[in-house]
Amino acid sequence: MTGRNFYLLESKTGEKRSGNNKNKIILNSRVRLARNLADHKFVNISSGPEKNIILKEIRKYIDDVKFFNDFRFYSIKNLGKIQRDLLFKDFMISPEAANKMQGKGLFIRSGQKWGDSSIIMINQEDHLRIQSIRPGLNILEAYKEVIGIERYFERKINFAFDKNLGFLTASPLNLGTALKVSVIAHLPVLAISPKVADFVKKLNQVGCLINGYFVGHSEIIGNLFKISNQVTLGKSEGAIIEEMQAICLNIIDDEKAARIKLKESDPLGIKDNIYRSFGLLKYAKILSYEESLELLSILRLGLDLDIIDGINDFDYFDIMGKISDSHIISDLEMSGRVTDDELDSARADLIRKKILKEI
Amino acid sequence: MKCDFCHDNEATIHLIKIQGNNVEKINLCKECAKEFSFLTEKDSYNDLTRILYRFFNSGINEHHSGRDKKILRNISYSRNKKCSLCGIDLKTIKKIGRVGCSNCYNEFKDVLFPIIKSIQGSLENKGKVPIKTNRKIRLEKNIKDLKNKLKNEIIIENFEEAARIRDRIKKLEDSVYDR
Repeated sequence: MTGRNFYLLESKTGEKRSGNNKNKIILNSRVRLARNLADHKFVNISSGPEKNIILKEIRKYIDDVKFFNDFRFYSIKNLGKIQRDLLFKDFMISPEAANKMQGKGLFIRSGQKWGDSSIIMINQEDHLRIQSIRPGLNILEAYKEVIGIERYFERKINFAFDKNLGFLTASPLNLGTALKVSVIAHLPVLAISPKVADFVKKLNQVGCLINGYFVGHSEIIGNLFKISNQVTLGKSEGAIIEEMQAICLNIIDDEKAARIKLKESDPLGIKDNIYRSFGLLKYAKILSYEESLELLSILRLGLDLDIIDGINDFDYFDIMGKISDSHIISDLEMSGRVTDDELDSARADLIRKKILKEI
Repeated sequence: MKCDFCHDNEATIHLIKIQGNNVEKINLCKECAKEFSFLTEKDSYNDLTRILYRFFNSGINEHHSGRDKKILRNISYSRNKKCSLCGIDLKTIKKIGRVGCSNCYNEFKDVLFPIIKSIQGSLENKGKVPIKTNRKIRLEKNIKDLKNKLKNEIIIENFEEAARIRDRIKKLEDSVYDR
């Protein structure tokens, strides 16, 4: 890693960290490292008892170790469905882990929440995955956290490694550094601009994957995109981090430029759109998660462009968590057998209370 | 010349792959070249099962005329082969998009390496080397990194630094190869 460049990055990320919700385009940053133990089968084909052995082996180095004393252990199979949903949503763990639950565990740094966490996952796709999520554009900070934890483990555990392929992972898509960096970007104007195809192409050319944030939906919901590095082999960790950081700064510039252009070219249209969203959020009695996100995205844009005021300056990403089904159920202590309409109605109330300053 | 993949269209793209002493020639039509290189489709990176599916299916639909189809032949040869350590076969790897253990990468090298190369663009790790790996691999990696650095310093004509790096490389090489 080149110290000089990192110093530069740091000062830039520092700027972005002002905690202000205004014009927040990169909503959060996630960094993940994957490792497997040498001389063991990978998780996808190992049996329950084999997974338990791995779990025990890794826990040995975490339980009662001072370095990890603020981490709390969760065994997936002992959790209820709502709890599990919450964990997956809040800590962005792949829902695949919900299926075969035997031998799977998580260590989560306590006191952390939705969109700001460090977590050690055992026996998910790989034996060991270390992940850190930070709000805003904070790739380097998240990387420092995961690599710090990894350095502790590498002294204790023999990792599966090949001098050409790097760290060996269950999926060939993660070989090499086994480092994935992903950010969630809120791009309400780029998403509707005719240039969106060029934008996607540009990202692909620089080795980036871009998808809708919500998995399993082909369309984009809430103008939320997930952007991540696709290449993990043949580049150093430092190069991957630097590239992603540079790409994010570019994305921010592109979205900002598109916003300025739109405000100039169609001021009435954008105003109309924002107030329509406001009207729906204010008066609708039933709001699905997807519809809420679409409307909130436009409302957030209204605040960013100083077109609307008199509403709370809300954090779009934060609200996204709070209005999800599992959060509503657990926060309002609803029973598990709640109907869709009841949920959607509670959601509409919650949004009015949180954002429109109504009681 | 017909395309090696679809056997229908005229091949307009001719790839030559050199691996050690092996020279492979692959002839493709425009359409199949898109699929083969995986460089234009954004989704393909996402989904390994799909990538594998393409490779395998081109092997399964074999009319096996002509030569120059080493990758395809490798797939059909090893279709029933099982990994000696974990027992997984290629069919399962294709289905789940994951290998079964570290040894699979070695065992199914002929099939997996070209695929990895096409997804990752490289077969050379430039990332971190774990502390527990033997000293030699780590030193070799250091030497490789330094050589890259040396090249860069020469490009920007920073000869003083380049000389220093050269000396360090020599020192390291001496210690690795016990000279």
